[in-house]
Amino acid sequence: MWQRYSRQIFFPPIGEEGQKRIGRSSVLVVGAGALGTVLANNMARAGVRRLRIVDRDFVEESNLQRQILYDEEDAARTLPKAVAAVEKLRKINSEVDYEPVVADVNPGNVRELMAGVDLVLDGTDNFEVRMLINDACVKQGVPWIHGACVGSQGLSFNILPGETPCFRCIYQDPPPPGAAPTCDTAGVIAPIVNIIASIQSAEALKLLVGDREHLSRDLASVDVWENSFERVDLSNARRPDCPACGERRFDFLEARTGWLLLSMCGRDSIQVSPPPGGKVDLVEIAERLGQLGEVARNPFLLKFRADGREMVLFGDGRAVIKGTDDEAVARSFYAKYVGM
Amino acid sequence: MTGVIGLPGILVRVKLFASLRRHRPASAAGPDFVQSLTSGSTVEALLEQLGINGAEAAIVLAGGERRDPGYPLKDGDEVAIFPPMGGG
Repeated sequence: MWQRYSRQIFFPPIGEEGQKRIGRSSVLVVGAGALGTVLANNMARAGVRRLRIVDRDFVEESNLQRQILYDEEDAARTLPKAVAAVEKLRKINSEVDYEPVVADVNPGNVRELMAGVDLVLDGTDNFEVRMLINDACVKQGVPWIHGACVGSQGLSFNILPGETPCFRCIYQDPPPPGAAPTCDTAGVIAPIVNIIASIQSAEALKLLVGDREHLSRDLASVDVWENSFERVDLSNARRPDCPACGERRFDFLEARTGWLLLSMCGRDSIQVSPPPGGKVDLVEIAERLGQLGEVARNPFLLKFRADGREMVLFGDGRAVIKGTDDEAVARSFYAKYVGM
Repeated sequence: MTGVIGLPGILVRVKLFASLRRHRPASAAGPDFVQSLTSGSTVEALLEQLGINGAEAAIVLAGGERRDPGYPLKDGDEVAIFPPMGGG
């Protein structure tokens, strides 16, 4: 074990004691896209005890430019990202206890996903889920490390409940739909993803070894194309009137959950999510849909083409319907072929 | 500091981040610049003066704290403005 980690043990702020602490820790990476694969890679190589990776998506060719744990074969197999990431990570460090979870993080499952973790790392791509992570982490006192990027720009800051501002102290509410450019609409280059996720990973290591003194209290902002590296001090940015950490009102955690339809911005796709706890029989549905259109299936999902649209249906009943950005169309497609 | 000639005014130092840099006045030499405002001007008024739509300004920090649109800026405030960044 010590040979594998010798170079980070030689680094005095970690040392043998720090390595033991890393080796006892459990980390949750939410989202296994561009940031998430770099985060998971760094945590696995650093030697955490347990790494839980949750992602709702599957590998596509357009991911390969920046999502470092995937290859062409994963895309050809339409593997769920959480599964493909763990397959790769097992080859990198088999000593880690991996827990891939193919799911959409929602108010119904976030508590369970966070059970027993020391730290949550943000590899997500939208504000809604970050608000939910923030609520859950602030409520339970679990630190999380935010990261986001688009184009050549990115930012990161730490949320240490009770010590630093929380996500809602900084962004009170999610921006209105369409206000934030996404990687699918504005593009993104791999270097900024690696930089931001690496800043997050360094903060994660400080936290796991217990070096709180060196943890950043700043918002780090980088634009790798415009040659800008900046830090803004957030040490006075806690808001006593913050709904989450000030008033301890957890709006996103307490949101009612029913059928959720989510437009996947810039991708001409809608995600249809059934209420939590759903489960579908992919084998049975594949047989049925085979008579109505073109079907392909792996153990985790099925792909179905009909009416000029494509649907990917996961085992938890969630579906991504491509070829429309109209929620009503997606709803009726789902109702017609899966049932709701 | 003094403001616009003839009017009681304030000066604030503004730093725009990421995609908001395009709203920097042509005269600004570096990443940050000094903006002159009439006394009592709010965050909202500053955004309007810079041509930044409210939804584009996801984070406005002045004096190290997040400020609401109605916050009256003070002479000498350092204001950092970030657009929403959601990707990853």
